[in-house]
Amino acid sequence: MFGEGLLTGMGVTWKHFWGKKETFCYPEEKLPMTERFRGGHLVLDHKKCIACSLCSLACPNQAIKLKIVPDAKKKRHMQSYVHLVGRCLYCNLCVEACNMHALSWDKNYAISSWHKEEMEDELVTAEGLAYFHEVMEKAKAEAEAEAKVAAEKAEAEKTGGDA
Amino acid sequence: MDILNMMMGQGVVSTLADQLHNLFMLLFDNAVVAGFLMKCVGIGAILGIISVAAIVFTYGERKVCAFMQVRIGPNRVGGRFGLLQPIADMLKLMSKEDIIPQGCDRVVWALGPMLLFVPTALIYAFFPFDNGVALADVNVGIFLMLAISSQAVLPFLISGYASNSKYAFIGGMRTVAQMLSYEAPMVFSLLGVVMLSGSMRMSDIVNAQSEQLWFILMQPIAFVVFVISATAETNRVPFDLVEGEAEIVAGPFAEYSGMRWALFFLAEYANLLSVSILTTVFFLGGWNGPFLPGVVWFGLKVLAMVFVFMWFRWTFPRTRIDQMLAFSWKILLPLALVNVLFTGVGIYARQWM
Ligand code: SF4
Ligand code: SF4
Repeated sequence: MFGEGLLTGMGVTWKHFWGKKETFCYPEEKLPMTERFRGGHLVLDHKKCIACSLCSLACPNQAIKLKIVPDAKKKRHMQSYVHLVGRCLYCNLCVEACNMHALSWDKNYAISSWHKEEMEDELVTAEGLAYFHEVMEKAKAEAEAEAKVAAEKAEAEKTGGDA
Repeated sequence: MDILNMMMGQGVVSTLADQLHNLFMLLFDNAVVAGFLMKCVGIGAILGIISVAAIVFTYGERKVCAFMQVRIGPNRVGGRFGLLQPIADMLKLMSKEDIIPQGCDRVVWALGPMLLFVPTALIYAFFPFDNGVALADVNVGIFLMLAISSQAVLPFLISGYASNSKYAFIGGMRTVAQMLSYEAPMVFSLLGVVMLSGSMRMSDIVNAQSEQLWFILMQPIAFVVFVISATAETNRVPFDLVEGEAEIVAGPFAEYSGMRWALFFLAEYANLLSVSILTTVFFLGGWNGPFLPGVVWFGLKVLAMVFVFMWFRWTFPRTRIDQMLAFSWKILLPLALVNVLFTGVGIYARQWM
C-alpha cells in the first residue's frame, strides 16, 4: 500500500518516544563499570590482608610501597600501603597475586589530579591504621600475658624443683 | 452557580471578555472606545499566544526530537528538565552580531523577516478559539484566511532575492514553487468541508461539526490531503526544501543572523500553530467536547495536532523538489478533486433520501 512505509516509520518513532532513553546525564548519573574493569584506586581490605607483600613483589613497575611491621608475637602487619598511581599500568597483577582477596579496584575512573604528590595513594585508611594499632596492642598484651604466665610457670617449676 | 453558568453557557473566555467590556464601559462610558479597547486587548492576546507558542514549541520541539532519537533533550538550563532552555536560546539569538551581507539590497533584505510575520499573525484574527471567541468572525473566513496566508510566499522570495546569495535565491524560488503548488490541493480539500457545512465562516464550520459528525470522519481523504499540504505550507520536514540544509544551506534564511533570523523562527512556529488550529477547526470539531470548557478542548486538540506535525518532522526524511511537486499535482490535487466530487454526490443523494 502506498504510504505503508511512512506509517511504519511513524510507529518506530512513536515507540522510541515512549521508550527508555540512552542518555546518561554524566556528572549526576554514572554508568556502572563492569565486573572486570581495572582502573581508579586500589582498595585494601585491612582485615583480610596478612602483609605477605606478594602484591608488591608481583608488581612489574614497583608501584606498591609497603611498610610492614612485625608485632610482639612476630606476626607481620601492614602499617602503610602506598600505591604510586602514576607508575601503575593497571595490569591487575597485584590483585591477582593476593591470595587473601584483600585487594580490589574502586572503579572510579575520574582520578585526574593537579599535583604529582596527589598520585601517591595511601591504602591504609584511618580505620585501617586504628585496626593496625589495635592488633599491635593486643599482640603486645597477649605476649606480655604469655610471658607472665611463662615466668610464673618457670617460677613455680623452680620452687617446685626446689621442694 | 456563576462558575457553572460560565462553564455550561458561554464559555470562560467570552465571559471574561464580557466583564472586561463592562469594565471599559464603566470607565469610559462610550461604546466606541470600549469596542476599540476590546479589539486592542484581542490583538494583544493573539500576539501573546503567538509568542508563548513560539517559546513553548521551541522547547517542545527539542524534547520531542530528542525523545524520538532516544535522547533526553535539554537537561541543564533551568533544572532537571531544562525548562529555561528557550530563554537561553532567545538570549543567545538576541546577543548575536547582526551581520549584513555585502552587496545585498539592504532595505528589502531587512523588510523580509518583518513582512513574513504580518500574514502569519494576521490570519489569527479569524480563528474561533471558543464559542464566540474570534477577533473577526467574518462570513468569508476561509477565503480570507487562504488569501492572506498565501501572501507569506512573497517575503520568502524577497528575502531570498535581496540576500545576494545563490543559495538564498534558490531557496526563495523553491518557496514559490512549493507553496503555490500546495495551495491548490489545500483549497480543494477545504472545499469538501465548506460544502458540508454550507458556510465559509469558521464558527459555522465548528457548529456544523457539533450537529453532524466531526469532519475527520466524514472527510477522511480531505483530512489527509489537508494535513500533508499544511506540512508543505509551513515548510516543515518532509517538505522543508525551502531551507534544506544539506542542499542550500538554509535557503532564504542563510544570510540572516541574530534577531532577524529569530523572526523567521517565530514565523515558523506561528505557522505551525496556525495550521494546527486550522486542522482542529476544520476537521476535529473545534471547541466541541464534553465536560471541559471549550477553550480547553480547543487547546488540547491543537496541541495534539502540533505533536503530530512534530512527529512527522522527526520521522521522515526530506523529499526531493521534483518528487514533491509531482506528489502535489499528480496525487494530492486529483485526490482532493475526487473528494469534492464524492462529497457533492453524497450531499445530492442525501437530499433525495
Ligand atoms: S596493577 Fe600492575 S602496575 Fe598497578 S600496582 Fe598492580 S601490579 Fe603494579
Ligand atoms: S598480597 Fe594481599 S595479603 Fe599480601 S600484602 Fe598484598 S594485599 Fe596484603
